[in-house]
Amino acid sequence: MGRKTKSFTAALSLLLVMSIVLSACGGGKNESSEGTAEKPVELIWYTIGTPQKDVNKVMEEVSKYTAEKIGVTVKMNMIDWGDYSQKLQVMTASGEAVDIMFTSSWAFDYVQSARKGAFMQIDDLLKEHGQGIMETLDPAFLEGSKIDGHNYGIPANKELPAQEVWRFNKQYVDKYKLDTSSVYTLESLEPLLKTIKENEPDVYPFAVDKNQMPYVPYDYVIEKLPMAVSLDTTDYKIVNVLDTPEMKQILSTMHKYYKAGYIPTEAATMDSMTDVQTTGKWFADRATSQPFADNLWSASYGYPVVSTPASEALIYNWSVMGSMQAISANSKYPEKAMEFLNLLNTDPVLRNMVDSGIEGVHYKKAGDNVMENLDESKNYDMPTFSLGNVMLTYLNTTDPTNKWEEFKKFNDAGVQAPLLGFNFDTSKVTTEIASVNNVKEEYWAALMTGTVDPETYLARANEKFKAAGLDKIMAEAQRQLDEWRAANK
Amino acid sequence: MSAQTTKGRDFHKLTPVWNVAFHAVAGIFALLCVFPFLFVTVISFTDESTLAKNGYQLFPEKWSVEAYTYLFKAGDQLLRSYGVTIAVTVIGTVIGVVFTALFAYAISRHSFKYRNFFAFFAFFTMLFNGGLVPTYIVVTQLLGLKDSIWALILPLAVNAFYIMILRTFFSTMVPDAIIESGKIDGAGEFGIFFKLVLPLSLPGLATIALFSTLGYWNDWFNALLYINTPNLVPLQSMLMRIENSMQFIMQNSQNASLSMGVLQSMPQDTSRMAMVVLATGPIVFAYPFFQRYFIQGLTVGAVKE
Amino acid sequence: MGAFGRFFKNMNRNAAMLVMVLPATLWFIFFSYLPMAGMIIAFKEYRYSRDGFLASIIESKWVGLQNFKFLFSTNDAYIITRNTVVYNIFFIVLGLVIAVAMAIMLAEITNKRLAKVYQTGMFLPYFLSWVIVGYFVFSFLSLDRGVVNQVAGWFGIDPMNWYSDPTYWPIIIVVVFLWKSVGYNSVIYLAAIMGIDKSLYEAAMIDGANKWQQIRNITLPMLTPLITILTLLAIGKIFYADFGLFYQVPRDSGTLYSVTNVIDTYVYRGLKSTGEIGMSTAAGLYQSLIGFVLVITSNGIVRKFNKDNALF
Repeated sequence: MGRKTKSFTAALSLLLVMSIVLSACGGGKNESSEGTAEKPVELIWYTIGTPQKDVNKVMEEVSKYTAEKIGVTVKMNMIDWGDYSQKLQVMTASGEAVDIMFTSSWAFDYVQSARKGAFMQIDDLLKEHGQGIMETLDPAFLEGSKIDGHNYGIPANKELPAQEVWRFNKQYVDKYKLDTSSVYTLESLEPLLKTIKENEPDVYPFAVDKNQMPYVPYDYVIEKLPMAVSLDTTDYKIVNVLDTPEMKQILSTMHKYYKAGYIPTEAATMDSMTDVQTTGKWFADRATSQPFADNLWSASYGYPVVSTPASEALIYNWSVMGSMQAISANSKYPEKAMEFLNLLNTDPVLRNMVDSGIEGVHYKKAGDNVMENLDESKNYDMPTFSLGNVMLTYLNTTDPTNKWEEFKKFNDAGVQAPLLGFNFDTSKVTTEIASVNNVKEEYWAALMTGTVDPETYLARANEKFKAAGLDKIMAEAQRQLDEWRAANK
Repeated sequence: MSAQTTKGRDFHKLTPVWNVAFHAVAGIFALLCVFPFLFVTVISFTDESTLAKNGYQLFPEKWSVEAYTYLFKAGDQLLRSYGVTIAVTVIGTVIGVVFTALFAYAISRHSFKYRNFFAFFAFFTMLFNGGLVPTYIVVTQLLGLKDSIWALILPLAVNAFYIMILRTFFSTMVPDAIIESGKIDGAGEFGIFFKLVLPLSLPGLATIALFSTLGYWNDWFNALLYINTPNLVPLQSMLMRIENSMQFIMQNSQNASLSMGVLQSMPQDTSRMAMVVLATGPIVFAYPFFQRYFIQGLTVGAVKE
Repeated sequence: MGAFGRFFKNMNRNAAMLVMVLPATLWFIFFSYLPMAGMIIAFKEYRYSRDGFLASIIESKWVGLQNFKFLFSTNDAYIITRNTVVYNIFFIVLGLVIAVAMAIMLAEITNKRLAKVYQTGMFLPYFLSWVIVGYFVFSFLSLDRGVVNQVAGWFGIDPMNWYSDPTYWPIIIVVVFLWKSVGYNSVIYLAAIMGIDKSLYEAAMIDGANKWQQIRNITLPMLTPLITILTLLAIGKIFYADFGLFYQVPRDSGTLYSVTNVIDTYVYRGLKSTGEIGMSTAAGLYQSLIGFVLVITSNGIVRKFNKDNALF
C-alpha cells in the first residue's frame, strides 16, 4: 500500500510539472504592432457561415487592399452555422489568439460572452479609430448594444427595428378573395382561417411550430423567459408575462384555434415548417419582417407571399444585436482591428469584396452600385448580413433601386422598446435561471402553440416557475433595471 | 474417431427446432435493424417535393438523385474527406490497438507488481475528465496539434473501456500454462506476448480493432474543434457540419436576417439521408473483414487443445 | 541502498511490463490527467482573462459549491435523478441479457454465412445518429401520418397523440435504446465465445452434455468475467444518460419531461441561456463522483467473491 501511495505521489508531481509547462505556454505574449503597408500585421477573423471554397483567394485580394490602406492583412475562418457557438465558446474560454469575431443575440451570445470577458471593451477605440462607424451607424445600434454602459461589439448597419407581420400564401388569398388589410390582431385572423379550414382540408390554415411565440406588447428581459415590461410602461415594472391579461387572452385564442383545427396538431414538437413551406400547403403564419421581405420570401419559396403588419416596428435589444463583430479580449492588435472594422463598415470597395468576392471572377458590375453574380460566385457565397454594414453592398439586378433608402426610412420609423440598452446580469441568479429554464422548456411550446388549455396549464406552469425561483430572478432584474434607469436619466 | 464425431455432432448441433427458432429471432431482429437503413436509402433517392407532400414512403411516387447531386457538388472535397477518414481510421486503429493491447496485457498478468495501480490509473479516466476546454488547451497549446491530422488520431487512440475488455480477454482466454511454456522455452516477455498471446487473442483484438475503427470513422467532434483547413476535414465531420447547420437554421427560422439570408440555400431532408448512406456504405462493406477474425478465432481455439 | 535499491530491483523484475504500459500511460497523462486539473472550474465562477486559460482559472472567483446547487434546487432534481438511474438499470440488465442471448444464438446457429449476415445487420443502427433515429420514431408515432396510428385506425382505434402522453414512453425509450445498442454489445460477447477453448465443449460432449447444458456449464461461466467487468463499468456511468436518446427521440416534447428528463438534458436546458462552464463542469463532476463511489463499492463486493473478476 505504501508503495502505491509513493507512485501516486510521483504521478502527481509529474502532473504538477506539466501544469507549469502548460502555464508557460498559455502566457500572453505582447508584441509591438507594426502595421504599415510594408510590414502589415495579420488579423485573424472568425465569422459565421458555411465555409466557402474561395475564402483564402478572396482574402488575398482583400489583404492587398487593406495592407495598402491600413497596414493589415486578413485571415478569415468561417465556421458553419450549427458549430459556430460551441467552437467560439471553447476558443474564447481557452484564450486562443483571435482578433475579430462574429457575435450576435442568436449565435455565440453577445451579452453572455461579453460578460465573461471574451471581448475587448471598445469605448475608446471606437472614438479613436472608429469615427466612420459612429457617423454611419444609427446611434440606437451602439446605444442598444451597450453592456453595463460599455460597448463590446460593432453592430452591422441593417434593419434596426423588428416588425412582426402576418404572412399569407397569396394563392389562397386570391382564390377566396380574402381581405388581409383588416388583419392586425390574432383575433382578426379568425374569419380567414375559417374559410381556409372549410374549403382546403389539405392546407394548414395557421402554420405554427414550436419556436413560434404569439405577439404580446411586452419587452422581454431575457428572450423567452416570462419576465417582461409592458411596451407603454412608465414605471418599468417587471411582470410575469404569463400573468398579464394580454397573454392570457392570446393563449386562449390560440387554444381555440388549435381546437378548431387551424393549427397543426403537432405544432408543439415541430422544429420548423420548412416541409410545408416547400409544398405551399399553408395559408398564414407570423414572421419578423424587413423592407421588401415579401420579395425575398416569394423568391425563396417559389410562389408569391404577401404580408401585413402585426405589430409596430420596435427596436429591441435582440434586434440591435442581430449581427455584430467584436474584437477579442486578447487581440494583439486591437487598434488595427478597429481600423479594419471601421473600413469594413464605411468603404464600399472593401465591403463588397468581402461580401461578393473578386470583381470579374465572382461578380461583375452592372451599374453604379448594381452587380450581377457570375458562375464562380457559388464558391464564394457569403451571408451578407453577418459581415458589417449591409447598406454599402451593391444591389442585385432584381433589387429595387430604392432598397437602402427604404431601409433607412424603416430604421428611422422604429420606436425604441423600453428595455433597449438594458442587459440583465444573470451572474447572481444562475442557479435559478437554470431551474426556470427547465420549467420554461417544459411548458412553453405547448402553451404558446395552443396545444394545451391555458385555463389549467397556466396555473400549473406558474406554480412551477415560482418554485424554481422566478420571483427571485424578477426581483434581481428589477433592482438592476431601477439602477440602470437611475444611471441613464 | 469418425464414429465418435458423428455421435458428438448430435450434441454439438442444436436440435432443428431450436435452430429454426434461433434463426427466426436473430433474423427478425436483424431485419428490424436493417429496415430503417433501407428506408434511409430509399428516402435519399426520393424526390424532395414528393417527400414533403407524402412523408416517408417505402415506394415513393417519384425517385430522384437530386440529393446526391447536391452532395457531389462538393466533389473533390468529398473525395478528400474520404481520404482523410480512411487515413485517420487506419493509422489510429493500428496505434490504438497496439497501445491498448500492450497496456491490457501487462495489467492482465499476475506477475506484474503494479497491475492494480495501472488498472486503476486507466479506469479512473473513464469517469473523470476535465471537460472540453482543458482538453482543448492541452491539444492545441501544449501539444501544438491544431490543424494537424494527429489531432484527429491521438485524442481517440486509447480508451480505458477497451483496455478493460481486452484485459478480460487476455486473462480468461490465455491459459497461464502457455505463458509458462514460453518462459521455459526462454522467450522474453515481449516474445511471449507477440508470438504466443496475440495469435490466441485474435477475436479480442478484432473486437477492439472494430470498435476503434468505428470510433474513428464516426468521429466528427475532434475535427470541429481542431481542424480549420478544409483539406483535413474528415467525412463524418463534413456531413455532421451540414446536418448540425440545417438543424440550427431550422430552429432559428424565426430570425429575420438569418432566414432571409440563408434559408434558400439550405440542403434538404433527402440530402441528410444521402449523407448517412455515403458515410455508412464503405464501413458496412468493411465489416466482413473483421468478422473473418472472429471465425479465425474459432479455428485457433480448436487448435489450442 | 534501502528503498531506492529495492525500487530498482522491482523495476527490473517488472521492467518489461512497465515498458508495455508506458505508451498508453503517457497518453493517459496528456489526454486525461492533465486536463483533469480543469475540474477546479467547478468551484469557480469562470471568467476569461486575456492572459490565457491558467490566468483565467486563477483570477476567477471561488464560489464554493454554488455551481452544484442548480442540480438539487427544485423538485426536478428528484425526477431527473430517478429517470437517469432507473433507465440505466433497465438498460444494463436488459442490454446484458439480450446481448448475451443474441451472441449465444449467433454462435450456435449452424449456418455460419447467415449468422454473419444477421450480425452485420444488427450493427447498422449504430451508424444512425439520434437525429435520424428520432425521425424514424416520429414516422411511426406521428399523430396524423404515423404508421402506428394508421394501423390502429384499421382496427377502429382512435389515433393517439404519442408525443403528449407520457404513459408509453418508458417502454419506447428502452426499446429504442436496445434496438440501437444490442448489435454493438453482442459483438463483444460473440468474440468472447469464439475465444473459448473448443476442447472444453468436446469434453462435455463426450460426457454426454446436451447443448443447453454446454451453454449453462461452459459458455456462461466463461463469459462471467467479461459480464462482470462490463457491468461494473456500466455502473460507473449510471448517472450519465445518452443525450440524443432523451432529447431527439421524444422531440424535446415538454409534456413528456416527467419520463424523459434526465440529468444530461436538464443540464443542457438549464445552461442554454447562461452557458456557465463552471456549472457544466460541476454537473460532470457530480455524475463522475457518484459513479465512482458506486463502482468502488460494487468492485469491492465482486472482489470478495472472486478477485480475478474485479476491475482492480
